[in-house]
Amino acid sequence: MSMTLYHGEPNGPSLTVLAALFEKGLDAQLVKIDLAGGARHDLAVAHQAEVGMSIEGEGPVLVVNGEGMTDSVFIACYLDDQGTGPVLRPSEPYARWEMMTWCRQIIERCAPAAAFLGTKAHLATALAALPTETFLAVTAKMQSVDLAQRWSDIRTGTFPDDQQADSETKIAQAVDKVEAQLDGRNWLMGDFSIADLETYAWLAAMVDLVPSAFAGKPQTSAWLARVAVRPSVAKALSMAASGDPRNCWAPGPEINRWG
Amino acid sequence: MSDVTLYHWEPNANSGKPMLALMEKGVPFNSHYLDLLNFDQHDPEYLKINPLGTIPAMTHGDRVLTESTAIMEYVDEAFDGPKLMPSDPQDQWRIRWWMKFMDQWLAPSFSMIGWSVFVGPSVRQKDPDLLKARIDRIPMPERRVAWRKAIYGLFSDAEMAESQRRVGVGIQMLEDALSKREWLASDHYSLADVNGFNLAYALPLSQPHLSNDDLTPNILRWLRAIYARPATKACWAMGKTDMVKRVAILEQEYIA
Ligand SMILES: N[C@@H](CCC(=O)N[C@@H](CS)C(=O)NCC(=O)O)C(=O)O
Repeated sequence: MSMTLYHGEPNGPSLTVLAALFEKGLDAQLVKIDLAGGARHDLAVAHQAEVGMSIEGEGPVLVVNGEGMTDSVFIACYLDDQGTGPVLRPSEPYARWEMMTWCRQIIERCAPAAAFLGTKAHLATALAALPTETFLAVTAKMQSVDLAQRWSDIRTGTFPDDQQADSETKIAQAVDKVEAQLDGRNWLMGDFSIADLETYAWLAAMVDLVPSAFAGKPQTSAWLARVAVRPSVAKALSMAASGDPRNCWAPGPEINRWG
Repeated sequence: MSDVTLYHWEPNANSGKPMLALMEKGVPFNSHYLDLLNFDQHDPEYLKINPLGTIPAMTHGDRVLTESTAIMEYVDEAFDGPKLMPSDPQDQWRIRWWMKFMDQWLAPSFSMIGWSVFVGPSVRQKDPDLLKARIDRIPMPERRVAWRKAIYGLFSDAEMAESQRRVGVGIQMLEDALSKREWLASDHYSLADVNGFNLAYALPLSQPHLSNDDLTPNILRWLRAIYARPATKACWAMGKTDMVKRVAILEQEYIA
C-alpha cells in the first residue's frame, strides 16, 4: 500500500507525524507543502470533510487509498499499527487509556495555546504583509469558516489580552504536568510513546515564548533534550528548510469556546 | 457485585457514552447517579474521584478513569463482548476523527444551546445565595464561567448564533457521511455511533427545521437503527428527566 504524507516544517503536528513515521520504519512519499501559505487547501483531498474540517487546523495530511487522514495523534496511532518499529502505544488497556487521555489534554488545552502564541510571534507579521486579494484568495478556499476566521485574526493582529494570559497559563500547566509525570522516568508513559511526540511537538517552541513556564523544571528540560536527539525526531528536525523549525507556525486548533 | 462503578448523569452527551458502551458490551456495572442539576458533580466526595468536577468517571477495581471517549475505548479493550472498534486501522482512525470532531467542535455547540434553553432555566429558580455558593465551589474556572452564563442568562447573541451555525454545518456533515456508509465512520456499528447517538438522539425534536425525514433521511435511518438496539433501549430506560424521554420521537415512522 502506498502512502503520501503532505507535511509542513517539523514543528507541531507535522513533527509528530514525521517522527512517528520514522519510528516505525515506514515508507511514505514525503511532500513538503507550505501549510502557513494555505497549501493544504489546494490538495486533491481538501474537499473531504476529514481534511477540510479537521479541528487541528493546518496540520499534515496522510493520504492512503485516496483518503486524506488528519489529526496527528490519530495518524500516529494508525502508523503504529502499520510499521515494524517499536510500539508507540502501550498495549495494556489502562496504560493505553492513560496515553489517550494525556494526548487529549495536550490537544485540547496545550495545542490551542501554543498555536495562539506561536502564530502571534512568528506568523502575524508575514500574513499582515500579504496583499488583501492574495490573502482572501487563500481563505476563500477554506471549508471551515472558523478556521478562516483564525487566519484572519492572526493577520489583523487580533490577540486579546485575556487569551494571551490564558494561553500562557495553559502552557505553564502543561509543563507542570510533564514535570510531575516524569518523576524518575525517561518518557512520559514509561516507555517512549505518541504522548512524548505530541507533547514535545507543541511544547518545544514554548521554551522561548513562555520561558517562565520552564524555569526550575529540570526533568522537563532533560526530557526535551532527550526527545530532540531521539533518532526519529532528529531526522524529522533535520528536514527543516528555513532555519529553526520552532519558529514555523501555521494556524492551529481553536481555543475552547465552551468550558 | 461488579467491580465497575460508573459515575454518571442521564443517558445523554458525555454520561451516556460509557453507559451505552458498557451496555453494548454486556458489562454489569454499579450505577452511581449524580444529579447535574443539583451540582452533585462538585461535591467534595465526588471530587476525590474526579478533581475536575465533571461527569462521567468510572472506577474499575482501584483504577479511576475519566474522559468519556477514552473511557469507551478502555471499555472496548478491557472487557469481552462485541467489538465496538473494527479491526482495520484506517477505520479506527476515522472513528477517532469523528469522535474528536463531535467532542470538541459539534457537541460544545449543542451543549451551549442545551445549557441556555434547558440547564439554566432548570436551576435558575433556586435560592440565589445557594446558587452563588454552588458556583463558587466549581473547580474549573472555565466551568464557573459557563455555569454563570447559564444561570443568569448571559450567553451573547454572537456566541449563540455561532453555536447554531455549527449545529447546522455539523448536521449536514453527519448526513453526508451517513449517505456514504451505513454507520457513521465505518461499515460497522462502532464507538463513533455510540458517541453520535448521545449527541443527536433528539435532533428531529431540537432542530426540526434542520433534521427530519425529508431533509436528513440518512440521519433519521441511523438514529432509528441505533434506537432499535436492545442496549440503547435499556440504557435510555435509565433516564429520569424529560430531556432524555425525548428519544421516543424515534418511534415515529415518519417525522416531517
Ligand atoms: N471531556 C470530558 C467532559 C466531561 C463534561 O464536561 N461533562 C459535563 C456533562 S456532559 C459536565 O460534567 N458538566 C457539568 C459541570 O461542568 O458542572 C468528557 O468527555 O468526559
